[in-house]
Order: sequence, then C-alpha cells, then structure tokens
Amino acid sequence: MPEIENNERHEIQSSDQQETESRKISRRHFLATGSAAGLTLGLALQAGTRKALAQPPGIAGPPANTQVNTWLNISSSGVVTLTIGSSEMGQGSFSGLAQILSEDLMVNYNTIKTAQGVPATGAQQIGNSIGTYGSTVTWTNYWALRQAGAAAREMLVSAAMKIIGDQNRANYTVANGVITYTPNGTLISYGLVANAAARLPVPPNPPLIPDSEFQFIGKTVSRVDIPSKVNGTAVYGLDISLPNMVYAAIQHAPAFGGVLSGSLPATPPNTMAVVPTQVIAGTGRGTEQTGMVNAIAVVASNTWDAWQGAVNLNVSWTTPADASSLSDANIATQGLSAIYKNLPYSPGGPNTPPTSYTVEGNYAAADQIVKTAPKQFSEIYVLPYVPHNALEPLSCTVNYVPGVSIDIYVSTQVASSVLSLAAQLTGLPLNKINVHTTWLGGGLGRRIEVDFVSQAIQVAMAVGLPVMLLWPRPQNFVRDQYRPAAWVQVSAGLNSSGNVVGWELINVSPSILAQRGFPVGAVGDSQATEGSSALPYNLGTISTQWVSHPSPIPVGFWRSVGMSINTFAVESAIDELAEMAGQDPLQYRLNMCTDPRWAGVLNAVASLCNWSSPPSGHFYGIAVTKYANSYVAEVADVSLATGNGLDGHPNLFQVNAVYIALDCYLAVNPGQIQTQLAGGVAHGLNAALYGRQSFNNGVPQYLNFHQNRVMRMDEMPQIFTTLIPNPAQSTPGALLGGVGEIGVPCIAPAVANAYYKASGKRTRTLPFFPNATMQGLFFYGPGS
Amino acid sequence: MATSFTLNVNGQNHNVTVNDPNMPLLWVIRDLIGLKGTKYGCGQQICGACTVLVNNVATQACITVAQSLVGDSIVTIEGLSPTSTHPAQLAWIANQVPQCGYCQSGQIMACAAAMLDGNHGADIAANMHGACICGTYPRILQAVQTL
Repeated sequence: MPEIENNERHEIQSSDQQETESRKISRRHFLATGSAAGLTLGLALQAGTRKALAQPPGIAGPPANTQVNTWLNISSSGVVTLTIGSSEMGQGSFSGLAQILSEDLMVNYNTIKTAQGVPATGAQQIGNSIGTYGSTVTWTNYWALRQAGAAAREMLVSAAMKIIGDQNRANYTVANGVITYTPNGTLISYGLVANAAARLPVPPNPPLIPDSEFQFIGKTVSRVDIPSKVNGTAVYGLDISLPNMVYAAIQHAPAFGGVLSGSLPATPPNTMAVVPTQVIAGTGRGTEQTGMVNAIAVVASNTWDAWQGAVNLNVSWTTPADASSLSDANIATQGLSAIYKNLPYSPGGPNTPPTSYTVEGNYAAADQIVKTAPKQFSEIYVLPYVPHNALEPLSCTVNYVPGVSIDIYVSTQVASSVLSLAAQLTGLPLNKINVHTTWLGGGLGRRIEVDFVSQAIQVAMAVGLPVMLLWPRPQNFVRDQYRPAAWVQVSAGLNSSGNVVGWELINVSPSILAQRGFPVGAVGDSQATEGSSALPYNLGTISTQWVSHPSPIPVGFWRSVGMSINTFAVESAIDELAEMAGQDPLQYRLNMCTDPRWAGVLNAVASLCNWSSPPSGHFYGIAVTKYANSYVAEVADVSLATGNGLDGHPNLFQVNAVYIALDCYLAVNPGQIQTQLAGGVAHGLNAALYGRQSFNNGVPQYLNFHQNRVMRMDEMPQIFTTLIPNPAQSTPGALLGGVGEIGVPCIAPAVANAYYKASGKRTRTLPFFPNATMQGLFFYGPGS
Repeated sequence: MATSFTLNVNGQNHNVTVNDPNMPLLWVIRDLIGLKGTKYGCGQQICGACTVLVNNVATQACITVAQSLVGDSIVTIEGLSPTSTHPAQLAWIANQVPQCGYCQSGQIMACAAAMLDGNHGADIAANMHGACICGTYPRILQAVQTL
C-alpha cells in the first residue's frame, strides 16, 4: 500500500468553480482526491471483461460505491505509486501496468513503485472487480491507464502553469517527471506541484502520446518482481510468518462426497488441535455441499508435525452410496451416451443432466446435409479431468481477533471474494477485514476458488491463534476443481470439391457454472462452449450443441477453460477433413477462413516455420484459435521416437519445437508476451502429454507428480514466436488482446496433427501418455 | 520425544529442536529457522523446489532428514550470495527467467551446484531437473549458456 497520510477525500476546488469529488471522463471513471501527500487518481475497470464468475453465489459482495481497481498517486516528493488490485502470478501484470502508465505520465518506467491493492473500505479501496482471470489485466486497464497518465500529467503541468503565470501550454515540455518551461528553462518537478494539481479539474480529453513517440510501450522492459524471485526474498502465500503463528495441514475425506464419520479423533502426538471444517455456502461444488464436514485440519507448531498428524489421523470417513458411479468407466459411459441420449433444454425446467443446449445453428438442418454429403466424417474427441497443480500448493494464513479484526494473507486471484467470505464467516464490518494478496506461485484458475480460504478461517476461529493452513501436495491432487472431462463429437459433410457443407459439434461435459449456482440459459454453459462456436470458417450449415454431463466431480477454471477442450476437437477435426479433401491442412484452413486476422496468424506461423519444408524427419501440425481478443496459431514440430522411457512405456514421439504467431493488436511488452506464450505452450503440452486424474469409487487415484508426470527441461521444445506488428497508430479504445492463457489451446491439436503426419496414427483421446509416471526420473542427493 | 541438534545453515549455527526425529530439512529450514526461500512443491523428491546445497552437493531438502546433516554445511538460496550477485542470479535477471518464480530458488541452487562441479553451459542444464509449471525452461537454457 502506498504510504499516504490524511486519506480523507475533500472537495476539489478550482479558481472558477466548486468541483465535486468524482468526475467522469467519457466512459471511464476517475476519482480524484487530494491530500497533503499529492495527487491521487482512481481508475475503474472497463466493461467487457470475462464474466465476474468468481463472486460465489450466496456470498454478499463488498459495497458497490466504487469500482476502482487501480490507484495512481504522485506524492509531494515526486514518488509515483501505482496500486494494483489484480494479482501478480507470473504473467507480469504489475510490471505491465506500470509500463503502460509510464508513457503518458512521462516518467521513467523504472521509477514507478508498484503496490498490491487491498480490497477494503477507505480512500484507497479496491472495488469488487479485481478478479485476476481470463487474460484481462492488460487490455481492460490499457486505455484507462493511458488516459489517467495523460490526465495526471496535464494536471501537474496546469499547476506548474499557475506558478509560472504563463497559460500557453506550448511553452512547457515534460520528461522523466520534470516539467520544463522552455522560454527560460525553469524546471518544476512533479513533486513540487502534486498537491496543487490535486485541486484542479481532471481534464476530459488529455492528449495521449502518439505511438510513434513511445518510449516504453512496445518495448521489452524488465519485470519489477524478478529480482526478488532470484534470491529467496519474494513472499508467496506459503511464506507468510506471523508472531505466535501455528501451522495446520488439511486432510479431506478420501472419496468425493464423503464426510467425517463417528467422533473426532484424539489429538495426535506432536500436535495441538484437531479441527473439523465444513463446506461453506458458495464454496462447495458438485459432491461437496454446504454444511458437509468433509475435511479435518491438524494444528501444530510447524508444518511437518501438522502434516504427519493429518495423514496418520485415526479417523473414519463415509463413502457415499453412489460412490461406485464416480469411477472412470461409468463417467466415460455417461459421456459417450449423452451425445445422443439427452433431453433438450426447457426454459424454467429442471434441465437435469444430460440436457442438450443449442449454442448455434440447427441440428436437424445440419444433420440433413451431413448425412447426405458425398463424404462424411464423424469422430469423438475425449479429454480427461485435469488437475491444476500450480507449484505453490494451496495455503491461507489467517490472524483472527474475535470482534476486532481479521487479517488474511493468501495467494489468491480473487481478493474481493476473500473479503466477502471473511465478512460472511466472521460478521466483522468490511473495514476490519484486511485481505493481503501475496505473490502467487501460479494461479492457473485454481486460485479463483476460496474453499481453502474458508477452511483456514474456520481453523483460525477454532484455535484462537494466527494459523497458516496448508494443503499438502496430495490434497491439491485429490480436491482440485478439475478441468472438466469432455466428449466432443465433430461430424461434417464434404462436397465433391472437399468443401465443408455441413458441420455438427456436440460437446458433452460437466458444467462449471451450474456447480456454482449460476443459471445456465438456452445457449448452454459459456465456459463449456467457448471455442466451439462462431468459428471463422465456412462450414456450410452448422449446428453446435453442448450437453451437460451428470458427473458431480468438482470442476473449475483451468487456464483457458473451455478453449483448451474445444480447440483440440475443432482443430483436430479440421485436419482430418483436410485429409479427406486431399488438401494441405494450412491451405484448407486459409481457403475457408472468413476472418483476415485468423488468416493472418496462420500465414505468419507458416512463414516462421517454413511450413512447406520441415527438416528431414520432422513433421508439422498446425492449429489456430482466438481468445481474449487475441488470435494465435501454433505449429508443432514432431519427430518419431523409438524405444521406451524410463517408466517402461514407449516414447512414440518428441516435440522438437513449437512455432507461435500472435496477433494481440498491440504488444505492450514483447519479451513478456513471448515468455507467456512459451509458458502457455509448456502448460498445455504437459497436460496434453500426461495430464489426467482418475477416479475409482469416488476416490481420486493420482496423488502426486510421480503419477501425474510433470514435463521437465529436457522435454521442453524450442519456442519460436512472431508477433503481428503493432499498428502505426493505435485507435483509442481498440481492444488489445490478452496473452496469459492464449498459448494453451492450440498445442494439443498441433501436436496431434503433427504426430499423425509422422506416424499415420490419429490421437483423439488425451492425454497422449495416460500411463506415464516419473519412475526412474530421480534427482540428486540422498535417496537418488 | 523432542530432539535437539545443531545445523550449520548459510555459515551460521542454528540449534533446533524437533519433535519427530525424521523431520526433513525443508521444514526445519522454513518453520524452525525461518528461512522461507527454499520451497515446498511435492514433498517427494520430484519437483526440485526444495533444492539446497549440502557440502556443495545439490540435495532435496524435502526428503533429507535434518538430523542426519549435523556437521554438514548447508546453503540455501538466501546464502548463495550476501549481495544477490551470484553469477546464476545475475544471469537469471539478465535473461528475465522467472515467471511466477516459485520454482526458481530450486533451479538456481541446482545451477549453482552444477557450476561448483565445474560445469558450463549445456552441461549445467543437463544437471537441472527442476519442474517449472510456467515453462521458463527456454530462458533457463539461455541463462546457463552464459555461465
């Protein structure tokens, strides 16, 4: 938090008129406040983000008196602080926003201090729209930040003009936070005029720096958080240390839907308490319902003793009567049969799964075409439940003083949801609840949930001491909210020229939204259907449906959500159709593409990899998609591999390289974009190769990375990226593309398509290596 | 039964008392001594986030019994360089390696160990097995090329 004294707002007066505190600037909302500590502007989140799905139903939101998610302060000593409501989880949000601000504010990027915003009442409140998800931080803040920087700059210059006494703006230049009055060279620093600037009106249309004069935007600048991430000083959620803090480890019922049976076990040796926790309203999903005592926390003076106590607890859990239905085979049978065995959506009806929803088009019309076409295609693509497993395991630290205050320290993507949850559980007023967002050792969508936060608060309330609650790694595996399993059937009819004249897609998967109590309307669960419809291909008569799968295994947002599922099916199917048509997969796509930017990235990646001439023994597979306003195309370079791996299973192939072309309209930090793309590819590739969870009688079978293999450096393909060039002059308000998730969706189909080229074998079921383990892949030191 | 012993961590002696004689080094470092730079990722010797140096050898603290290291020299990420200027740290910054950064303490310690063994460039990388979910491997490879 910026150190600002005297936070009270006051009315801002100008020499001409009494101004009110808050001013609207076109569609953006700025709140200007002033104090002895300089000029402060608050920026509100723009519309058009991903749905605010992180606000769990049943939990009251924070007050709606402001939607501010970012604060900009220039202190009277010239220090520029940007207080950011979103989370930093490696995607570079802190640095990116500072970089954007530096341009129009005309201060050196390296001098801007960034601070983590806190969702609480007070003059620097962060509002209820700071969920960090959906690849939204940069593009939702870009124009507001640019305008804020320009507005602040002009307010500071206006204050300088009053001091100098010359109102001719052309006589003033700005650089590095210093205003120069050019007629006589007088220098006025921002700090000198910050207080006076706060009393001026916020200009409605401050001029933005032309793109041709950019000093920071469009350049690769260093990240502000990296220095602390190389010397052990970066503080993640798991690293919090408070005076008198105790440690707790959670242990859930082995089976989904299971609860504590019988009496509470005795406190194990070396521990101090055993605390049962229940599912709190709004945090439960699927089998885990409100009120169920589905976990026990064991508390001790250190993590190890707590953890050993938890895993060795002498306790009984129930197994639900229907547990046998929560087994891989049954879940798969339900998935396959629901493609056709389902009931249509009925408004106001119970719509019990399996129910089919029409996302677009008309099934009967499309089917008539498909089933009478000269060439017909129909295949089912199957994807498993996939756990998140950010490397930092889930944890939350709570310091609760009954009736007084609560401090929560947590790696979270949804600080405002944590605030609401704490209010609900403690009854404390919002201004006594302090949510401290630490840096995240990976978010990936799992940290959109607050189940582990609710447990930590319950434990803190029970033991009356500050407590850090940890989910040991196996608990992260067995109580994830998984990427939904999916059965996606794609059917198509080709005419004699090989063009698609009819197209049907049916995606059967469990509903993320329904598990959160959101109503699913006529067009289905948007999280399940994204990437399956509105495809910029000429596909003739189309039909896109989604069918709700009845499985109650908890599901959630896994980096790129529905995109990674549907893009696998769509881009694999397009390749299969190209083959049926006897055409090159790239040319086939270009021939039927209706979106020039979609074609643009296809052509760019083809050029990057020299599509028509892969090296000898290398085979190329291509895929393309659009998400968060960005277009991305990827080519995987695959070679066949002989022999078996150390785990005894055939190697089959290796991915030598991945070529990526991205069109995000305007790249703010090209180097950071390049590494986020590489990261998305790595994450998506790991999932495609090895990612899955298995269920037997409701019990998740894979407990750690040795059973759910994690890709290491020797398996990482070389990454080559090309960015569609920035516009010569960007249009104010134009949508930039998000990048955080965009590397993920294309990699699985690109690899599958390449492997087919290499081997003649189609992979329609993921992961490629369902039986992979990390056997034999040992480390160094004792035990290896 | 509580057991007390002395460990030498980053050149300093720490007298610690553990309840479980098998308590791993990782948790002694983090919870008893209070150095949080060494991370917990899997607890099963797979991910490498807990990598420290024991007598200049890369060691996974999550599965190493702390009491077995009495008399040994233990170095954590905090002890690599008092000014954070170990060549690996400088290379990591120059190449903007970390994303979320959670694995990087372990990666850097593994790199440092490989360098102590006389390795350079790609040979360093061949000795680094840490998992990185963020996929920073290409930049790690870039960084170690300069070492």
